Amino acid sequence: MIGNARRRFDDRGAFGTRRMGEVREGGLPARVAVTYGGPSPEHDVSILTGLQAVHALERAPGVGSVRSLYWSKSGDWYEVPAATEAAAFVEGVPSNAVRLRFISGPGGGFVRPGSGLRAREDRLELDAVLNCCHGGPGEDGSLQGALDLTGLPYTGPTAVGAALGMDKLAFAALVIYAGLPALARVPLSEDSDEPGFPPPYILKPRFGGSSIGIEVVADFETARARLEANSHLRRGAVLEPYHEEMFDLQLAARSWPELQLSGIERPIRTRGGGEILGYEDKYVGAEGMTSAPRELPAKIDPALEDRIRALAREIASIVDLRGVARFDFLSDGEDVFINEVNTIPGSLSHYLWIDPGLSFTTLLVEMLAEATARPAAVFSSAGSDGSVLRIAGSIASKLG
Amino acid sequence: MTALSAVALGASVLAIVSGDLRWLRVAQREHYLPGAAVRFAWRWWVSTPLDAALGLAALACAGLSAFVPVIAIGAAAVASFAPLGLGIRGRTSGLAWTRRMSLVALLTALLQGAAIALSAVVGGLSGAVVAGAVSALLGPLFIDAALAALRPLEDVLAQRYVQQAERLLGRVRPLVVGITGSYGKTTTKNYIAYLLGGDRNVVASPRSFNNRAGLTRTVNEQLTPGTDVLIAEMGAYGPGEIAALCSWLQPEVVVITSIGPAHLERFGTLERTLEAKAEITSGARVVVLNVDDTRLAGLAKRLEGTKKVVRASGSDATADVAVLAHFEGLELKISGRASGTALVEPGSPTPIRTNAACAAAVALELGIASDVVARRLATLPSVPNRLQPYRADGGYLVLDDTFNANPAGARHALEVLGSEAPGGRRVVVTPGMVELGKSQSAENAAFAEAARRVATDVVVVGRTNRAALVKGCGAAGTGPALELVRRREEAVAWVREHLGPGDAVLFENDLPDHFP
Repeated sequence: MIGNARRRFDDRGAFGTRRMGEVREGGLPARVAVTYGGPSPEHDVSILTGLQAVHALERAPGVGSVRSLYWSKSGDWYEVPAATEAAAFVEGVPSNAVRLRFISGPGGGFVRPGSGLRAREDRLELDAVLNCCHGGPGEDGSLQGALDLTGLPYTGPTAVGAALGMDKLAFAALVIYAGLPALARVPLSEDSDEPGFPPPYILKPRFGGSSIGIEVVADFETARARLEANSHLRRGAVLEPYHEEMFDLQLAARSWPELQLSGIERPIRTRGGGEILGYEDKYVGAEGMTSAPRELPAKIDPALEDRIRALAREIASIVDLRGVARFDFLSDGEDVFINEVNTIPGSLSHYLWIDPGLSFTTLLVEMLAEATARPAAVFSSAGSDGSVLRIAGSIASKLG
Repeated sequence: MTALSAVALGASVLAIVSGDLRWLRVAQREHYLPGAAVRFAWRWWVSTPLDAALGLAALACAGLSAFVPVIAIGAAAVASFAPLGLGIRGRTSGLAWTRRMSLVALLTALLQGAAIALSAVVGGLSGAVVAGAVSALLGPLFIDAALAALRPLEDVLAQRYVQQAERLLGRVRPLVVGITGSYGKTTTKNYIAYLLGGDRNVVASPRSFNNRAGLTRTVNEQLTPGTDVLIAEMGAYGPGEIAALCSWLQPEVVVITSIGPAHLERFGTLERTLEAKAEITSGARVVVLNVDDTRLAGLAKRLEGTKKVVRASGSDATADVAVLAHFEGLELKISGRASGTALVEPGSPTPIRTNAACAAAVALELGIASDVVARRLATLPSVPNRLQPYRADGGYLVLDDTFNANPAGARHALEVLGSEAPGGRRVVVTPGMVELGKSQSAENAAFAEAARRVATDVVVVGRTNRAALVKGCGAAGTGPALELVRRREEAVAWVREHLGPGDAVLFENDLPDHFP
């Protein structure tokens, strides 16, 4: 699987015809919906990313109409006017939002229920969905799977890629199996033994992308105690070694029209001590990711930079990169380890492209082109030709 | 004759529209409580001699228009443009055309139309003209009548949302924390959400969503399966409201933060305020009380034996949960035992200790380990606009306490101002405090007297508390220099013009612009 994926980036000519599904030549999807929000800890940041995207797409040549679709904390879908500002969401669903239903199935999608004189419900005619949901079901494969069943093209990771990105344990396992450098990461449960590496440890929830529930623990006993006390660890937890001298390095990668890597950033801690990048550290500031404090480009050794870029290319292969993802690394200045992948990063990480720069609009337009040219999933029932059923005999006899 | 009458009637109808729009905005800002429009109308009409004179003149015109119809135009003009200063749009917020507002506006218009029609039947065109002028001038009365008439309907409609919320609460079964008190509810709620958030899935009601409409909306829009804790801030303007909220929220752990003169004009006395807030304890299992407040200390004694009472304090080391000042930060003490210290970073605002103690008590009750609570006290989120200091472009220090309307908090703010700008000018900008019932004048005068001791200048904004504040500042020459302005923008402009490096200004409270 890894070998095949690598070939994809080396041999673009074969790319379209080798994979399943149709490739549409040229042509941007004209009618686009931007989805954002969702039942997620990153709901608010997702609103910022989504509104920025709506704003940028309205000015994009080739895009006909843009719809702004808000996914509320309780899981309901709404359409809001494209010019809606972030302040309108402070108290919850904006007052001028129109409630929609989402139907997951052929001919489905986002539907406006009938009201008043218009009795019939009305499906929004869309060519593609630009997904700006961070965390939760918008980034863990749930929304992706639901959209797959409707046949609507969408940007960003496929259901599988999204689920992989949200599972720290599975991602780490994949990286280690591929022979790439990563810090040890082991599952922690009630009956776990002490890990093979010494404390202190970083304790993290296994699933989910936010910093909620992440903390440094001094020893295994404390880790076990936190596992019992902290409900954020209920669904699974992982332990990693804590290296205080290590700092974060991040870069973004996008896959269309070809693999392209961004500049490397070193996020700055706003609080002293504790090198863990907390939620307030990541997203402080009124414009989401775009105004969080940072060192961009990171002042690191050119050799380290080259190593990171080489690793990024490998990771792009093994996660089957689609859309734009941000790869997070840990380094002490000399060695570098792969930490996490973020398949729908805040502000879609467009600010990380500095030299050459990348306009947000261009990024979005190319992601949309990819959405239609590289369908996320195509289902087929090839092989079910009835033969098994014909010779089956009676079901009762099978059950004996 | 008839043409002039028709013109006069037309002018009155226009006056009804423009007048009603202004008073409807006041009614909306005052939460649609019947009686609010008339109360504020009275405040505005008597706020200056000019307004009072115009009002009387207009009434006279309305009466005389029975004989000379065209005089009604004078009444209509006054009703449209006076009281001076009350705009249609407003600075803090315009009129929001919600379903509820549309209904109130419609009913008001119908009532006024009916008054005119009835007068037309009885007195012909001249009767209609008089009725038009009077309806325009007495718009607030019609609005209050509409509010009173629609209240039962609103209750019925609200019940639908309450039932939906009840069903959701029954399915999700979160642990509900209820918070009430005259002051400090929002700060305490934010502290609790922060102390719990790292360990539990928490939904907290947003700022100013502390009534039935806001809380049902919070539950219906945000309570998802998997939520461990719901923190509901409960406000009350009168007795029975908290009990009504508790009937469907059923909080298990409750907090009362303070008893003070907030909304005293609706409660009447501080004892009635205490009883109304204490309604939150009736079904609760655990009651957290800020015992630095003597009335709440008394309530703690009363409830002992019937409930688990947790005494929280920001100064008494013997309380059940205490958050005390400590070198470089805070110290957490549980039943007198030292349980951890929190180093607050220099430059960060220090948390409010009584509220932090109440929040810590709730967190401990919900099973958060004491060392975790102590550690998190160091990074409690600061409350915006609550005594946040910053340096303005002109070099002077600005203390922003605009969201505070608490007399004790105001005293504290004066102390902070007193410790700044030695040798420079120290300015207090304030419209005073409101909704203090009979104590309002006395409280504002007392605040001004306290301000005398630290401030070199006092800028009084608006007319609502002007008399009391001026009195408290003392005779000219003996106290701080007084500057009287109509609106906050003028105060800000004055500050920009007169202050420079080495000076400090305290903005204490800010009144929405539907106050005169």
